Amino acid sequence: MFDLLPHLLNGLVLGLLLALIALGFMLIVGLMEQINLAHGSLFALGAYLALALTGPKPPLPADLAALWLQVPIGWRYGIALIVAPCLAGIVGIAVEFCMRRTYGKDPLYGLLLTFGVALVLEEILRLTWGTRDHVLPIPQSMSGGFIFADLIWSTYRFYAAGMAAIAIGLVWLLIEKTPYGAMIKAGAHDSEMVRALGVNLSKLRLGVFVLGTMLAAFAGIVVAPIWGIRPHMGVDAVVPAFLIIVLGGIGSFWGAVIASLLVGLAVGVSGAYASEWSLLSMYLLLVAVISFRARGLFGKKSVLEV
Amino acid sequence: MTKNGKAGRGPSRRSVLKGSLMTASLAGVGAFYGPWHHNRAYAQSKKPIKLGLTNDAGGQFGNSGQDEHRAIRMVIDEWNARGGVLGRKIEWVTADTESSPAAGTRVAERFITREDCPILIGALHSGVANAITQVANKYGTIFLNTNSSAPSEAGENCSRIKFVWDGNGTNFSKAAVANAVKSIGKNWLLLTNDYVWGHSTAAATKALVEANGGKIIDNLLVPQNTRDFTSYLLKIQQIKPQVVGTAIAGDDNKALREQITQLKLDSAGGPAWINNQQDWPDVWGSPQSLFGVFGTTWYHKLDLPGVPEFVKKWQDANKNGPIPVPGNVSYNGYMATQELFRAMERAGSTNNIAIIKALEGHKMSAKDRMQHFDAYIDPVTHQVQQTIYLCRKNTKPVDNTDHFEIMSWAEPKDVLDDAAPTKCKLVPYDKVPSVDA
Amino acid sequence: MTGTSSDARLITPTMLGTWLVLATVPLWISAVGLYPYIGVEIVIWSIYALAFNLLLGTSGLPSFGHGAFFGVGAYAFGLTQFNIAANIWVSLAGALLAGAFAGLLVGLFIAHRRGIYFALMTIAFGQIFWTISVKWHSVTGGEDGLLNIARLPVNLGVVSFDITDNDALYYFVLAVFAVVVVLLWRLVNSPYGRILSAIRQSEVRTAHLGYNVWLYKLSVIVLSAAFSGFAGGLFAMAQRSAFPDVMNLAQSGLIVMMTLVGGGLVSFWGPVIGVIVFLIARDVIGAATNAWMLYFGTMFVLLVLFRPEGIAGTAKLIAERWRSRSATPAVLSSETRSG
Repeated sequence: MFDLLPHLLNGLVLGLLLALIALGFMLIVGLMEQINLAHGSLFALGAYLALALTGPKPPLPADLAALWLQVPIGWRYGIALIVAPCLAGIVGIAVEFCMRRTYGKDPLYGLLLTFGVALVLEEILRLTWGTRDHVLPIPQSMSGGFIFADLIWSTYRFYAAGMAAIAIGLVWLLIEKTPYGAMIKAGAHDSEMVRALGVNLSKLRLGVFVLGTMLAAFAGIVVAPIWGIRPHMGVDAVVPAFLIIVLGGIGSFWGAVIASLLVGLAVGVSGAYASEWSLLSMYLLLVAVISFRARGLFGKKSVLEV
Repeated sequence: MTKNGKAGRGPSRRSVLKGSLMTASLAGVGAFYGPWHHNRAYAQSKKPIKLGLTNDAGGQFGNSGQDEHRAIRMVIDEWNARGGVLGRKIEWVTADTESSPAAGTRVAERFITREDCPILIGALHSGVANAITQVANKYGTIFLNTNSSAPSEAGENCSRIKFVWDGNGTNFSKAAVANAVKSIGKNWLLLTNDYVWGHSTAAATKALVEANGGKIIDNLLVPQNTRDFTSYLLKIQQIKPQVVGTAIAGDDNKALREQITQLKLDSAGGPAWINNQQDWPDVWGSPQSLFGVFGTTWYHKLDLPGVPEFVKKWQDANKNGPIPVPGNVSYNGYMATQELFRAMERAGSTNNIAIIKALEGHKMSAKDRMQHFDAYIDPVTHQVQQTIYLCRKNTKPVDNTDHFEIMSWAEPKDVLDDAAPTKCKLVPYDKVPSVDA
Repeated sequence: MTGTSSDARLITPTMLGTWLVLATVPLWISAVGLYPYIGVEIVIWSIYALAFNLLLGTSGLPSFGHGAFFGVGAYAFGLTQFNIAANIWVSLAGALLAGAFAGLLVGLFIAHRRGIYFALMTIAFGQIFWTISVKWHSVTGGEDGLLNIARLPVNLGVVSFDITDNDALYYFVLAVFAVVVVLLWRLVNSPYGRILSAIRQSEVRTAHLGYNVWLYKLSVIVLSAAFSGFAGGLFAMAQRSAFPDVMNLAQSGLIVMMTLVGGGLVSFWGPVIGVIVFLIARDVIGAATNAWMLYFGTMFVLLVLFRPEGIAGTAKLIAERWRSRSATPAVLSSETRSG
């Protein structure tokens, strides 16, 4: 049992990271009933933008760049953590403007549009930053390891999990505890009523999509120091995100969070005791759950199902 | 050639090729078909030889694919500057093989049947290499597998028309294991990617560890596309082996490297790490995360005559490239292409069988290959048997490209993959369709 | 409308025209700067796209993991050939049955879903199949692939054709294509097909009419998967090997893309048009630049935005306008399925 504890702890940390990756995707699918297949590319975009801001070659005039590089890495990293998602948010605005043409039609069109956007974004990343791998610099104080229970643990992973927990908490506060959240939720299910209440529906949708984009980018920045940065890194991210949403049940905030933690635990613990099954374990978990609960753990009947 | 037999409805390949050559000479059609890098102003006395460069540009191996592409182009330019091969100009075409076997098949078919390429060069991913081999086998087209290091390439998946230029997992294990068992410890743990390459590399390592009196206390199989290795790293700390032998490839290995070095698991106190080959284009992205002992076939700071000149030449040809110095991937691409041209000159022919015979068993001097020992092309497996270098992260770099410290080098005969010849069955020459450029 | 008269026919003029044009391909494909293998690929992917469109266009079920069935068929073709009988019909039947079985397995989980739920579930199942194909290397060869799959002779009892040559293979897949087109055309225009269309418009209404919607959806998933697997078997034969890559998410997305580009939502032939345009554009743009996906992706985005009905739909719209200029204004119905 004592041997198992480190793996449970690791599973929880991994689960928080997965939840962070799935968060933006969940918002858009849950509140807008749109599958954003560009989620992975936006995740990668966030990492690349952060790299541009913190890396050795900022896209600035030479003297400004030199000045910027004088700023301690801790500050640069912190600024990138806020600025890069905002920049990605601008891309999100553009995508949402395109998506407006698909509202009211089959949700398939939104799915296909974002699939196209994903292809284009990935190619732009490749053309801009090249095919090679990059490493996102992080402050010295966040990297390295520490010893706990006779084992060396990665310091950064705990910071990353902490950031994930904060992001999850903030999103929860926004949708559950603010009037905006109530409007967003109402807008997803009854646009007529929202209009009757005098809320601008298109602004609401724009807001949700941009928030989803920014969360994807934020996740990319947080995870980049662990997974590395390369043009196709988004593919690694979207697949767990999809699984988690199906597992948790579309439209359920806590469903997604709990599903993430379950997947994290399954992958983490099986990694230690049945290592070759670790990735497959999340698929097996999915099949097991939907055999008994067709809509996932906390899924509700969607308006689009009828 | 293929037996056309009773089908006989479509034109045979030869007549199709003739047809396409005829149309290609119609400048209008050729021009429509896009910006192939031809130089039509070249002396027209002899037909150029057109090579098909099957280099990945996208996907997991895009970075390395373009690195070997640059080196192959260099050799072509050098020979053309000297008047070509057999007095004929070398032309080339390329298309993205996308690190995907389906794309590899399509590109190979295109290069052979539409572009009439007698030779294909370039591969990183064993699946893509196999897909191209399947097509090349059918037409008898020579295929140079420059950089796919799966042991199966020179074993069960070998071919009369395929030549393998990289060292493989078995070669690297042989270079590293005996030494490590004696000097570091007998308790080994293996960390293995759960697919063919990982399994065959792990099997080779296991056999060598046991032959040298060591034992494998556990083998952790890691699924492909694993990005988070923490559970494995914790488990390794719990098991406490003396040596960890890894066979993790591609993006998985890059993630593993990041995570091990962040934890400083490779420094004093932890286990010693025996890593497989590290490709230079991958290292260049994150040199700070190199760990343990790993292999390579060549390094740009080898203290051998010719190396500085080669590096200079490479840099002149690749100004403003993404990587400032050549590494093993570029090196393998360069050597493969150069030996191909020399074989054509030796054979005095562009006939595929003549070239194959000129390559088989061919000996290459250490000086010429800028390695420590002479190398040769194994006539039984078609793999280049060459010097294998063991390296570790350089703690005293002389400049910002000097990431490796070369610890030792092994002679080809000491790192030979003994099992390969029993697995590799080459078809007789007369079973290979004849191809001429 | 004009379409109804041809619906009842077994073979329509459009079919005949398409077959005739496709039959001449080997005569001129090299002359226009292409090569025989791309012709083979176009025909095989057309079968795949038509099978896929049985779900997307006919029944309104967006599958984003269809590569799984194509891939399962490819492996089944090779495995049947190696382990059961080296006979082309047996191997193709193996591919078809394996696709159907995989479809049944997935269908049991997803047949009561629709819309984005359906799409997400198919993505998840597609990933499961892809992971298994990579992991189960003793059967599939993993990343190295299942190699040395033969192009078996086409044995017709009295005569036997060799199809190792690309041109011969082309005529074989074209003949198979012709049969599949007739079968699918009959299916779409049968009472069964009309119920599928009704399900696409409203599941609830169809259920109220007394049809077992679940069973219809399950059966069409199985049929679509079976034909996709069959196409996968042909592809394994063309490629002489089977690899996991056709099963991944991006490749599954491509078949959706091709079907939509061509206009699979409004026309039976849409998927075929999409496959032709996509494969040729990829070849031509890909020859010019390694960044071909940038151009193709942009074109695709613009198409989804401005011409979501695809090439076939746009052509139909233009034709309608042309006709309405000379005659009384006609209302274009997206339900029309002209032959």
